Amino acid sequence: MGVRVLKPGMSTTIQDRGRYGYYSVGIPPSGSLDQFSSFAANLLVGNPDEAAVLECTYLGPQLLFEAPCVVAVTGADLPPLVNRVPRPLWESFEVSEGDVLSFDYLTAGARAYIAFSGGIDVPEVLGSRSTYTLGSMGGINGRVLAEGDWIALGPVDGSRVGRAVPEALRPTHPYQREIRVMMGLFDHRLTATGRETFLGTDWRLTPVADRTGFRYQGAELEFKDRTPPFGAGSDPSNIVDAPYPIGSIQVPSGIEPIVLHRDAVSGGGYCMVATVIGADMDDVGQSPPNITTRFVEVDLETALQARRDREARFARLREELA
Amino acid sequence: MTGTASARYSFGGDDHVFVELDGEMSLTANFKAMAITQALEERRLDGVIDICPANASYQIRFDPLVLPPTDLVELLKQIESDVGDATDIQLDTSIVEVPVLYNDPWTHETLMRFRTHHQTPDSTDLEYAAEINGYTSVDSFVEAHSGSPWFTSMVGFVAGLPFLFQMVPRERQLQVPKYPRPRTDTPKQAIGYGGCFTAIYSVRGAGGYQLFGITPAPIYDPTQQHPDFEDFMVFFKPGTIAKLEPIDRAAYDRIVEQVEARAFRFKQRPVRFSLGEFLNDPDAYNAGLLEVLRGS
Amino acid sequence: MSHEIRSPIPGVFYRRPAPDQDPYVVIGSRIEEDTQVALVEVMKNFHPVVAGVVGVIASIEVEDGGMVGPGDVLMTVDEAPGEGAVP
Repeated sequence: MGVRVLKPGMSTTIQDRGRYGYYSVGIPPSGSLDQFSSFAANLLVGNPDEAAVLECTYLGPQLLFEAPCVVAVTGADLPPLVNRVPRPLWESFEVSEGDVLSFDYLTAGARAYIAFSGGIDVPEVLGSRSTYTLGSMGGINGRVLAEGDWIALGPVDGSRVGRAVPEALRPTHPYQREIRVMMGLFDHRLTATGRETFLGTDWRLTPVADRTGFRYQGAELEFKDRTPPFGAGSDPSNIVDAPYPIGSIQVPSGIEPIVLHRDAVSGGGYCMVATVIGADMDDVGQSPPNITTRFVEVDLETALQARRDREARFARLREELA
Repeated sequence: MTGTASARYSFGGDDHVFVELDGEMSLTANFKAMAITQALEERRLDGVIDICPANASYQIRFDPLVLPPTDLVELLKQIESDVGDATDIQLDTSIVEVPVLYNDPWTHETLMRFRTHHQTPDSTDLEYAAEINGYTSVDSFVEAHSGSPWFTSMVGFVAGLPFLFQMVPRERQLQVPKYPRPRTDTPKQAIGYGGCFTAIYSVRGAGGYQLFGITPAPIYDPTQQHPDFEDFMVFFKPGTIAKLEPIDRAAYDRIVEQVEARAFRFKQRPVRFSLGEFLNDPDAYNAGLLEVLRGS
Repeated sequence: MSHEIRSPIPGVFYRRPAPDQDPYVVIGSRIEEDTQVALVEVMKNFHPVVAGVVGVIASIEVEDGGMVGPGDVLMTVDEAPGEGAVP
């Protein structure tokens, strides 16, 4: 059982909940950038939470089904078509042997998730099927999908058709976002003006944004003068190479803040001034180029409450689709 | 080799704690990071996801709904005070010989291709590094770079890339700035230098470190086909001690053949490292380490 | 018949392969289905845009180096009725 890749889309990868415990040797978590949407896709087709799905960036693939299957597409507004006939997003539907799944133009968001009943059956690497392309690991030979690839599916255990995620639980994709951050790490290196600029600018996402990092443009941040500490390097934004938190925001040379996502480089010599809170990482993952973003400062308590609210949304969805 | 600064704790969002032990690089700060993270590892705490020792800092990724952030910070501060200056702590690690072809044709081709990104368009990276460190020739610079061993002070950036800090007193540390504009390409297994660190590029890709040479030995093997990678796909671990061994082109080619036949193994020996003993007399201690590598 | 060539992806629209080279097409250029008419750069990669239709470029809707979104019209084409039918 499986699916043949007729057209791979632009940067389609196999992802799951991620790979944990290896960041200390430079292997980042990887996994779906929008975890809620990929969780929803699996629930819709009756898969276990850890099943692997396809993450499609901006442009959907074209897939030929060589056996009947139940499919769900969630995440970005990337309208699915079966044999060129529109099918709903956020709802499971059946496809038959010989059917072709393709997609219309993306209208909002950035990444769509396709779950197949049975889940994608590729070998686990260090406990995950997620593709980490920089390290040539996971997925299909550690790379993005290519034309002609065969995607094997696992055995189906109780798939379901016609299940839908209630409107209220679907994420929205506004073109202006507010992303909550906790200031910290090396933010003391910013001047008061630099800090105000960081929190007061409508940052625009650049087209180079990818699974490693989301680079924004819009202003230049002012750093305090200093004598470089031994080993740090001469630029005011340099530090002795340090670990980078997932979600941390570094500002090389004071321009173009970069939010690291789930394929993060694990460390380096640029000073980070803030970190996106865990609950808002999915929203970063759904940001397409040119979107404007404000970084909004919150404290630890607010961030933890947001995390609990997010967990509650996962639990509610599980109940709704039980 | 100072290291008296007090640690600075900061949250990286709601699920990371970042601890800067010193704003400056030193073996003392690095060893402290290693000792604290090892002590935390041994507690096997619920909710801890990733423990990342780094050059002069470390980072913990955790689930704040399982392990309350403030509890974790308190525990880390307790461990920090237990570890103290870490000079009486021993680290069981290994010393490994890394063959290096300095001034090789492949990194040379790359650095020439990116000359406009460099400080000195008219010299090579090695010539530039030798000059700004006061060496009269590339050969004497290479001698300094390859003479004393290196301590793996951090693994990361990309999968399996070691940052190496040379085990010499501060006044003998080599320092070279990174490229003002990073390259978009670096050969796999290139030996790079930035700030006070040697890096071995585990995969091909972008990079801003000065390029000195290349090793024929793989250090990252995601498909685990080479003998040294049977247990794990990453060779270097924080704390691994490396001796860079200059080789000529003939030796390079011989090792490449061994690698292609899946027959190459690093020369390595287990060793117990003591920061206190090292700080007492670095040169004598290093001579002892190299003895271990050569001997028996 | 008029046809619209759309960008399949978001990114930066380029009319030429390199800054010092000629544009892929200009108004009046004759195109085949597989003629490359532009590039869109996203995620550090350049993606070719092909015409998908036979005809003549009638208009170019986006400035060189401008940002485009998925489905945005890049160019319009006066479709040729068929091979050889246009003098």
